[in-house]
Amino acid sequence: MKSNLLRGAAVALCLGASAYAALAQDAGDTVKIGVVAAESGAFVSAGHTLPAGVGLAVKQINDAGGINVGGKNYKLEMVKRDDRTDIATAIAATQELVRDEKVAAIFGSESHDFTLAMAKITQPAKIMHFAGNSTLGKVLTPDAVKAGGENHYLFQSEPQEFQRSGSTARGVLSLLEPLLGAKPKKSVLVVGNDATGQFLSSFYITALKAEGQEVPDIIFYPPETTDFSPFLTKAKSFDPDVIHFWYNGDSTLTALPQALELGAAKSYFLFGVDPGIWKERGLTADVPVAMSCVPVCWGASSNPNSKTYFDAYFAAGAPHGVTSSVSLLYHDYVHFLAKAWEKAGSFDPDKTVDALMSMKYSGVVSDSLAFNETHQVTHATEVCAAAPGGEITCSMQQPPEKAPE
Amino acid sequence: MDILLQQILNGLSIASVITLIAVGVTLIFGLTGIINFAHGEFLMVGSIVTWLAVSNGLPFPVALILGVLAVALMGFVLERAIFRFTLERPTNGFIVSLGLIVVLQHIVILFWNANQKSIPRPLTTVWEVGGVRIASVRVMVILMTIAVVAMTYVMITRSRYGRALRASVEDRDTAALMGIPVRRYITGVFVLGSALAGLGGGLLIALFPITPFTGGTMVMKGFAVALIGGLGNLTGAVAAGLILGIVEGFSAGYGFSEWTDAYSFGLMILVLLFRPHGLFGGTSGPKMA
Repeated sequence: MKSNLLRGAAVALCLGASAYAALAQDAGDTVKIGVVAAESGAFVSAGHTLPAGVGLAVKQINDAGGINVGGKNYKLEMVKRDDRTDIATAIAATQELVRDEKVAAIFGSESHDFTLAMAKITQPAKIMHFAGNSTLGKVLTPDAVKAGGENHYLFQSEPQEFQRSGSTARGVLSLLEPLLGAKPKKSVLVVGNDATGQFLSSFYITALKAEGQEVPDIIFYPPETTDFSPFLTKAKSFDPDVIHFWYNGDSTLTALPQALELGAAKSYFLFGVDPGIWKERGLTADVPVAMSCVPVCWGASSNPNSKTYFDAYFAAGAPHGVTSSVSLLYHDYVHFLAKAWEKAGSFDPDKTVDALMSMKYSGVVSDSLAFNETHQVTHATEVCAAAPGGEITCSMQQPPEKAPE
Repeated sequence: MDILLQQILNGLSIASVITLIAVGVTLIFGLTGIINFAHGEFLMVGSIVTWLAVSNGLPFPVALILGVLAVALMGFVLERAIFRFTLERPTNGFIVSLGLIVVLQHIVILFWNANQKSIPRPLTTVWEVGGVRIASVRVMVILMTIAVVAMTYVMITRSRYGRALRASVEDRDTAALMGIPVRRYITGVFVLGSALAGLGGGLLIALFPITPFTGGTMVMKGFAVALIGGLGNLTGAVAAGLILGIVEGFSAGYGFSEWTDAYSFGLMILVLLFRPHGLFGGTSGPKMA
């Protein structure tokens, strides 16, 4: 009887051990990638594009057989968390992904402030962290990104703001000039009064002045504004050639019809509004309207890769959004990271950083994506313009080499 | 001069939507004591129903009526199922309404996503008079607001129902002893206030695109107007709506534009400090024995 019990216990132990080994093997063959983004709350319009872009890249990689690292095949798994547009939730989600889910990399957030807070968790834990914010320059210094530096594993997957503002301002003015019949001379900015709006508009106003624009005023509006008529009436009093709506696409789409009714300017620029939304909503204007995407448009594009990408993106269930293109600030970098892991032959974060810094990746946005010495990318921004008749023209605008004085 | 006139017109337009919300708030809060901070989400639901109806090919006036009816029905169900149990403890009702904000927003996101929704403008004509541009759709909203507020005013101040309501506010128990069906009247006021939110939502989406989060700011301004005018005081709500609209229009045009909301709420704080019952005097909510 006793020997039977012992034999049974031994068999149970063996079965348990083999089951554990099988589970461990399963876990070992999957690499988790975390996403922290606003899937609810005020930033949801851009936020929901993050898991959509990362999820599509993960599916594409897995469908192609996964990644081969050190002679072994791995599948990727996306683990997403909704930060509810709340920084405390973003921090808690990041802690959970790092400590409990053991993710190898984190993508997000769409907000500069959230990313900085998240990096305080990801960087000491040596987690690869990619964020599509244009404004991480202050923390991505040469000292901070060097081996052993406090942000060695943090990467900015959107061009620096002076680059984006510079290429946008140049593109907008060059596309509007033939439609207006003369070079625009006077611009007024209408900007959401939050931290991002204040920060970004300081770059854009410099870029406009570098292009020879007179900018008599910058009009800030409270972020939740729906009735823009008083702000636009003020803008109209300057008799501007162009009113530039900067930077929230949803607010811009609310403001534009009101601006057209008031006849506030001779032309308009809508930052972060895709021509696809312009067409879908059947928008029209009796004056030229420029639009820009971050970084490539889905509704009309001069980028040959755009259509293939967005066909797959929307087929995967993502809605047609004002800022669907933001997904590209993440999608390409999942592929880039996967290639870096393959090149490094390891998931070791230090080897992965070395591999990323030594590579170029041919993505949707650019065929030579690369990080500079401070872990920031450089690529063009797409700007489009709708003529009063409805015809839309787009062009990719390269960024300036240096920040204007 | 034309810019000044344009800003006055802008102020009137801003005032009309805020007034519509404030009238709903002032009726519900002032006459029933229910502090429904989800009133903004009621407005948002009105916008969504109007958007759905227009998207499915219905003409705007029909869509607007559907929006009003849907939100009135929602108000009836929520009052019967939830708020009536909180009448003796208004703080509970307040907390419940905060929960409702999140629930209603997420139901809308679940079925229709969080993206902006808009409808084609039901009226597109823009008149130009002496350099001032007047959009016909804004005139429509102003006129409808005037008509609805006037009808509500007559009903509350002149009708038998209105007198009974005001008696209930003075003393619920005595009113009940006199044969006034107080609970039924409370439901009626809640449904009327909800219907006004639905109307506000339908008119709002005729003017501007909306999102599931549109209600938040609107209800804050609605409460500010209701408090400035005096809770339960319709004349006060209309006057305060006008004051706030003009203040917003002029502060955006001639002051520090980014402080527009701060001016409105600063005004509310000042009024409440010096006239705690609002500029026109209010009910302070119903009195209970």
